[in-house]
Amino acid sequence: MSLQNFLSALDALQSEAIATLDAASDPEAFEAARVKYVGQKKGALKDIQKQMGGVAADDRKSAGMRLNEVKQAIEKAVAEAQSRLSGGGDSGVDPTFDPTLPGVRPTIGHIHPITQTITHLTEIMGRMGFEAAEGPEVEDPHHNFVALNIPEDHPARDPLDNFYLATAATGTEKQNIEGTRLLRSQTSTVQIRVMANRKPPVRVISLGRVYRPDDPDATHFPMFHQMEGLLVDTHVTMANLKTVLRVFATNYLGGDVEIRFRPSFFPFTEPSVEVDFLWDGNWIEFGGAGMVDPNVFRAVGYDPEEVSGFAFGLGVERLCMRRHGIKDIRDLYSGDMRFLSQF
Amino acid sequence: MLVSWKWLTRYVDLPADREELETRLSLSGLNHEGTETSNENPALAADDVCIDLEVTSNRGDCLGHIGVAREIAVLYDTELRVPSPTLEESKTDVASLLKVENEFTEACPRYTARVIRGVKVGPSPAWMQAALTSVGIGVVNNVVDATNYVLMECGQPLHAFDYAKIADQKIVVRPAREKEIITAIDHRQYELDPSMCVIADAKSASAVAGVMGGADSEVTDSTADVVIEAAIFTPLSVRRAARTLKLHSPSSFRFERRVDPVGVDWASRRVCQLIVESAGGTVAKGIIDTAPEIEPRPPIVLRRSQLERILGITIEPGEVDRILTALGCQSDAKITAGSGSYRAPSWRHDLTREADLIEEVARIHGYDKIPEDSPIPVAPSSKRTFDSATEKIRGVLTAAGLSEAMTPSVVTKKLDSSLSPWTERPALSTQTAMLKGAKRLRRTLLPSLIEARANNWASASIEADLFEIAHLYLPGETEDELPDELYAVSLVCGGDFFAAKGIIESLCQRLGARQAVSVSPVDSPGFVTGQLVQLSLGDSPLGYLGVVAPKTLKQWKLSGNVVVAELSIAALLADAELVPQQRIVSMFPSVERDLNFVMSESVRWNDLENVVRSAVGDQLKSVTYRETYRDPKKDGKDRKRVLLSMQLQSDETTLSGDDADALVQSVIGACKKKLDAELLG
Repeated sequence: MSLQNFLSALDALQSEAIATLDAASDPEAFEAARVKYVGQKKGALKDIQKQMGGVAADDRKSAGMRLNEVKQAIEKAVAEAQSRLSGGGDSGVDPTFDPTLPGVRPTIGHIHPITQTITHLTEIMGRMGFEAAEGPEVEDPHHNFVALNIPEDHPARDPLDNFYLATAATGTEKQNIEGTRLLRSQTSTVQIRVMANRKPPVRVISLGRVYRPDDPDATHFPMFHQMEGLLVDTHVTMANLKTVLRVFATNYLGGDVEIRFRPSFFPFTEPSVEVDFLWDGNWIEFGGAGMVDPNVFRAVGYDPEEVSGFAFGLGVERLCMRRHGIKDIRDLYSGDMRFLSQF
Repeated sequence: MLVSWKWLTRYVDLPADREELETRLSLSGLNHEGTETSNENPALAADDVCIDLEVTSNRGDCLGHIGVAREIAVLYDTELRVPSPTLEESKTDVASLLKVENEFTEACPRYTARVIRGVKVGPSPAWMQAALTSVGIGVVNNVVDATNYVLMECGQPLHAFDYAKIADQKIVVRPAREKEIITAIDHRQYELDPSMCVIADAKSASAVAGVMGGADSEVTDSTADVVIEAAIFTPLSVRRAARTLKLHSPSSFRFERRVDPVGVDWASRRVCQLIVESAGGTVAKGIIDTAPEIEPRPPIVLRRSQLERILGITIEPGEVDRILTALGCQSDAKITAGSGSYRAPSWRHDLTREADLIEEVARIHGYDKIPEDSPIPVAPSSKRTFDSATEKIRGVLTAAGLSEAMTPSVVTKKLDSSLSPWTERPALSTQTAMLKGAKRLRRTLLPSLIEARANNWASASIEADLFEIAHLYLPGETEDELPDELYAVSLVCGGDFFAAKGIIESLCQRLGARQAVSVSPVDSPGFVTGQLVQLSLGDSPLGYLGVVAPKTLKQWKLSGNVVVAELSIAALLADAELVPQQRIVSMFPSVERDLNFVMSESVRWNDLENVVRSAVGDQLKSVTYRETYRDPKKDGKDRKRVLLSMQLQSDETTLSGDDADALVQSVIGACKKKLDAELLG
């Protein structure tokens, strides 16, 4: 073979090899090209090297130098192609990959804001030693009224102010008479049951649904939740009551909240007060409170000369709506996912 | 209760700062609800203000301007000016003109009457008209207006009868007769019953006691002689009559909250004086009074130590004494000696015990004096098991994609009738509907959740997957029993039966249930036949799971698949291990094998699983259902292929391939023998 022919073959090989390697767009194409040109057994470089024997002895030095140049150029192209395909540089980006597409979200449900509020309240009160207690929602007049010092002639017992259960007689004939069972109007009934079964000291919160015949509107619903607290011990004072409510208000509403007591009347506490919190510059009534009436202690077998205690009741819905900015209480009971999924 | 500022000035000097007064009244027990001037209320004189105060049900004494003025006098430590009515009486004795018989002392403990003769009915004086108008009372004539004026002055309801209309000049206080009819001064007819008290003459009823007067005996322009009634009617009697007749009035409101027994005679004299001044006439001598004696109030002991024990602060004894004396209590012994003795005034029915006096001192002294940094003894508390469990339940269900709903406990008949898996006893019912048409205490949460799903679909095409945790109210055996209040967790979702079953199985697993969930088919209207099961943990009933029938879905206007389930939380807790306990894992590797069986369609998965488990024993760590495949052409009719995976592992040694193969062979043999299931090659 003449020197000229050999050099031409080398040039052609280099051009072809570099072009093919540059065009490789995936690891498979790259590997095929690599094997074709620089493979150890059947590579094109290996083949052309064997043709050196056909070159005249005087021309072999020139031919060898040129062969080495081509070999290095091709090997460099191999290295560059390999580097490109393994992830470096802009040219490696997959154009079908759009990172701005939304992620695939798992379907996670929502816990009801009332449940979240109750959990929060229970946690705050738990840190002050109050344990949660529960009792029946359908009550008898003894627990709902008598043991709470609400006499028979008290307006709070009125059939229009309570959900009495119908009996065979009232269901078919007369309406609006007091009965033997009713949906409880307050969770104080739980406190009566707790005290009747336990010796002081007592430190509990009772939480649950209560029922009052209010026409539904943005701020009223005939079913709502109460949290009542009760602390009975040998030296419980109204200052303790105010302190507990202060700690609660600070934890739930923030450090800048103020508390105010306004005198009120509840048959089961004496003195009795309404509890207001100053929030966003307005006094908001959140519930009632007071020192447990001695008659209530006697009804459960405690000696009011030995123990004293306080009780308070807060409306859970009112707290929840304030905190979450909920405007209509009826939304809480709608089961509407557009509402529930916001919390 | 509406109070006129100008009217109050007749009894007490008012401070210059009206807003401060309103605040102080709120902070001492008369909650300020609002204020109107002549700008807001044209009926008001330009120089007057109308204040709305909320009076609690134990403070009937504040349902009059004198009562409010008394509170102000105590707060500002000023003098209260109460008018002293003076009467000029004629020589004619009232007993010669009128007789009163009280046959219903239970409803009317005391009845008094006076007679004024020779009145000229006409307009009231301008000052009286202005006063009544300022608090929203209608103006009628100088006789009726005087009764209303005194009502708003001192809180004692009064009534004027036309003397000429009283048959036989006799007033009888008696129970109404069965179905007795009375025409009230609102000129409507009311049917009475014997539980109600009426003021009658010799022939018929003239008034419903404490509630409203009758039309027949009302004062008219031609009335010349009037009878003035001032009485005490018991709260219970008045309230029930007013409620039954749907007749509420300013009078009934005050009788329900008790009136001042001493004030009865005062009011009677006061109104007679005002009538004579504006209508002329003369008052007959004396008063007819069925119960003139008033019991003296018993003394109440107040201990200084008890004040501190209850309030947590020390109040100077002189201040205590001043407050109670100013409120009208008569001091038998001052409190400086350690304990005082006081008698409450006649107008304060609510002051009967030491606790009541403590409250009076506290509210006048000011609750703002009570500190809010009093030490609270530390006490440990622990979370209830129920709360820990429901927290886990909510965690699992929200992770599964369900959201928590909260729906009313009382439902309509439609909802109550549609499903009742737990009991066949009829639901308890309220007398009054809680919401429109809703009287039934629910026996299952499921209809409420289905309704919520339907509402979501109707309003926003949302396929809502929901759960709720709430009480069911399962009626007891007799009407007097309280119901079983069972806490249930209930869910409604789309998807299929097995997706819902998987949620329940995951829930039980997460709660550490010791026993596997098992199912037994039951049948019930509203569900697809064969796709409603009772769920159990071992032998204990847990709840229900089922596919809602298409017909039922159509009624709710729901499309697609709806699966519902309801579990008893008590049953969940009974089998739960809420604090997970570690189990030692084997240090040797496990071996996996997949087996594909062809078998009869009637073979249930749990049967197959049980056979596999018993064939291998301890070295079977898990057997997992993978897939069911049906190809009638290859396997024949009523045949199916079930693919399962076994995880084999020893606690004592590494299982070899041959060991695993031997176990697999025993499984294959057992399945063949017991279930006629063939391994596919």
